[in-house]
Amino acid sequence: MVGEGVSLTGVNHSQNPKQEETMHKSLKFGMTAGALGALVALGGIAPAQAASDVAMLSVLHGVPGLTVDVYVNDKLTLDDFKPGDLAGPLELAPGTYTVAITASDAVDASAPAIGPVDLPLEAGKNYTAAAHLTADGKPTATLFTNDISQLAAGEGRLTVRHVAAAPAVDVLANGAAAITNLVNPAESVLTLPAGTISAAVAATGTTDPVIGPADVNVAEGTNTIVYAWGSLADKNLALAVQTIDGLHSDPGSINAGEAGLVATNQPFESTGLWVGGFAALLMGLGAATVLGLRRAGARR
Amino acid sequence: MRATVGTFAALAVALGLLAGCTATPAAPPVAPVPEATPSAAPAPLPTAEVEVPRVKSALDLNQVAPSVAPQRIRVESLGIDMSIDPVGLAEDGSMALPSNPAVAAWYRFGPGPTSPSGATIVAAHVDSLVYDIGPFARLATAPAGTEIILTTEGGRESRYTVDSIQTVAKTDVPWAEVFDRAGPARLTLVTCGGEFDYDARRYLSNVIVSATPIP
Repeated sequence: MVGEGVSLTGVNHSQNPKQEETMHKSLKFGMTAGALGALVALGGIAPAQAASDVAMLSVLHGVPGLTVDVYVNDKLTLDDFKPGDLAGPLELAPGTYTVAITASDAVDASAPAIGPVDLPLEAGKNYTAAAHLTADGKPTATLFTNDISQLAAGEGRLTVRHVAAAPAVDVLANGAAAITNLVNPAESVLTLPAGTISAAVAATGTTDPVIGPADVNVAEGTNTIVYAWGSLADKNLALAVQTIDGLHSDPGSINAGEAGLVATNQPFESTGLWVGGFAALLMGLGAATVLGLRRAGARR
Repeated sequence: MRATVGTFAALAVALGLLAGCTATPAAPPVAPVPEATPSAAPAPLPTAEVEVPRVKSALDLNQVAPSVAPQRIRVESLGIDMSIDPVGLAEDGSMALPSNPAVAAWYRFGPGPTSPSGATIVAAHVDSLVYDIGPFARLATAPAGTEIILTTEGGRESRYTVDSIQTVAKTDVPWAEVFDRAGPARLTLVTCGGEFDYDARRYLSNVIVSATPIP
C-alpha cells in the first residue's frame, strides 16, 4: 500500500530555448472568475472538453517560515504563497511544466530556492506538487499523483503523505497503528468505511504522538489527503489536508414498494382474469389473494 | 455568489469556444498556445496574471464537513409527518429503506439539508404487505408549489417547494443525476408508483419529487 512519491529534487533543468517554448502550455484555472482572467491574459485558450483531456494540479506549500513565489514555465503563477497554503487545482493541458519556487521578493525565476523542477503531467490524472522539507530539513519539491479512482458507496479513501523533516513515522487511527514506517517523501493509501477517525502521528514503532491526535473526516466518495509537514527539530510539525471529492458510487435503485396497493394497473389485467378492486383483495376477500400474499410473505 | 461564478464560468467557456472557433478551427481541444512576447522592461516585482484559488490547508479549516441529517419530514397539505432514519445501501446495492412505510430514509452518504450543493435524498416505501399504504403514496398527486419541511437536530427547519413530480420507469431513472452531489442544493423525494408487477411483487416505476429550497 505504500507508494513512493516521485521526488524531483535535482532534476536537470533543460535550458534549450526551443524546448522551453514548447513547454509553455496554456494554463487554465478552473471554473472561477480566474478562468476569464486567464483567457484575457493569454488570448483565447480553448476550454477543457472533459476532465480526461486535462491534467489537474494542486500546489501545497509545506516549508515552514518561508513565503515564496511560484513560477510555472517562468510565469509568476502564485504570488506571496504562504506556508500551509494549498492552491488550485489548476486545469492544465497535458505536458511537462517547469516549476521554480523563489523568495517572495524575487523579480523573476532565475534564482529559485527550490527547483527548477520538471513536472510531467498526463491527461486525466490529478497531481499535487508539494514544496516541503526533506527528512533532514532541506527544501525540496515532490510531485504526488492523487488516486481519483472511483470508490464503492460507503467508502472513503485516506492518503497519508510524509513531507516533514522527521524520521520514519507510524500513523495511528483510533489509537492503533494503521500505517507503519512511512518515510519522507512516501505516501500510503487506505480505503476505509466513511467516517471520522482520530488520527495521530508517532515515531515508527511508538505510540506517543508527535502530531495529534486530531479528528479526520474520511469522507465518503472522497480522497482525503493528509500531509504531515514541518520540522520535528523546530517543533512545528502539523497536518495539512486536501480533499478530492466526486469519487463516489450511487445506489443502483430504490425499491420502495412491495404490495401493489397503489398500483395503476390491476392484477391479472393482462390475462383478462380481472378479479376486482385491489383494495378488496387486500381485505382477504379472495382465496387467491390470500395465497398470493402468503407466497409473497414467504419470499420476503 | 454561486450565480456570479457560474456566469463567469459560462462566459469563459463561451469566450474560449469563440476564440477556438475563429482562430484555430482545427486545433485539438486543449491546444498549447505560444508564449506571448515579453513586453517592455519588467517591473521591479512581478504580479501573477491570474488569481489561482487558494485555501488554508490546516486540518481544522479544510476538511469535508459531514452532512447534517434530516430527522423529520412534514408535508402539512398532504398530512405527512414522518421520522427519518439515516441509511446507506442494502445488500443488493439499492438504497436501504426501513420496512415500515411510515418511516422515511435519508441517504446519509449524500448531501443534507444544510449542504451548500447537491440533492438531499429522502425516500420511503409506498406500501407494505405488513404495514399497508404509507404516507408517501400521497406524493404522486401533490401539486407543484406544495411545501415540504425537513427538520434537523435542534429543531432547525429547512423549507422546500415542489417543482415537479415525475413517475419514471425504474429502468430509465438516471440515478447519478438523482444522487447528484453537485449542482444547486435541493430536495428529492423518492418512492414507488405506477404499474405493479404482481408476479415479481415490485412496482415498475419510481415517483420522484423535485423540490427547491425556500430562502
